Amino acid sequence: MPNREFDLTIHPDGRVEVHVKGFPGKACLEAAKFFEETVGEMLTQQATHELYEPEEQVQYRLENRR
Amino acid sequence: MSCVCVLTPVVIAAWPSFSAAVLSAAATLGYSVATSDSSESSTRQVSLQVERSEIVTDPLGRDQRLSIFRDGVTITFSRDARGRAAICVTGLGRTDEELRTLGQELGQRVVQQYVYQRLKSEMAARQMMIVEEAVDGGHAIRLKVRQWKN
Repeated sequence: MPNREFDLTIHPDGRVEVHVKGFPGKACLEAAKFFEETVGEMLTQQATHELYEPEEQVQYRLENRR
Repeated sequence: MSCVCVLTPVVIAAWPSFSAAVLSAAATLGYSVATSDSSESSTRQVSLQVERSEIVTDPLGRDQRLSIFRDGVTITFSRDARGRAAICVTGLGRTDEELRTLGQELGQRVVQQYVYQRLKSEMAARQMMIVEEAVDGGHAIRLKVRQWKN
């Protein structure tokens, strides 16, 4: 299964910058909530263009076989 | 499918985990644990606080104070009357500004270490694995973390 990735930078003053990757749509913002609950207050939150991609869907293709 | 956020830490800790962060931060900056209170009457003293901190009371009433030492400067961390983490910096032949700078530098590193330890334990509980870890030239801790979907 594809994995989800987080790039964290803990600055010397304690500020934490988190880059959340691999979450479909707005689930990304929900994933960021875990870090807010663990670290403290959210200063800024910025969505990249990928956030607006559609959420994951499972597709089935049915083919007629002879 | 990605977003970036910046968080400012809030330190809510019991004394054991806070003092562990103090010791880690002290080691990174070359301080060692002070065996006795070396403050003299002629030393200057500056008092600071760790912003957004709350040290949980020890139900056993043990001493919540830890002093570290480097180059004639002693920095003592304790829990103040309001429950916040207090920093007292003393040193001979130093200006108040120098002492304040040293106290702020160490106080920030303590918060960095506290956040690092907390993130590590919380992420481990969620099966989030640190796959890369490094400290850059600016003393920032950089972590690459992966979580596999179930």
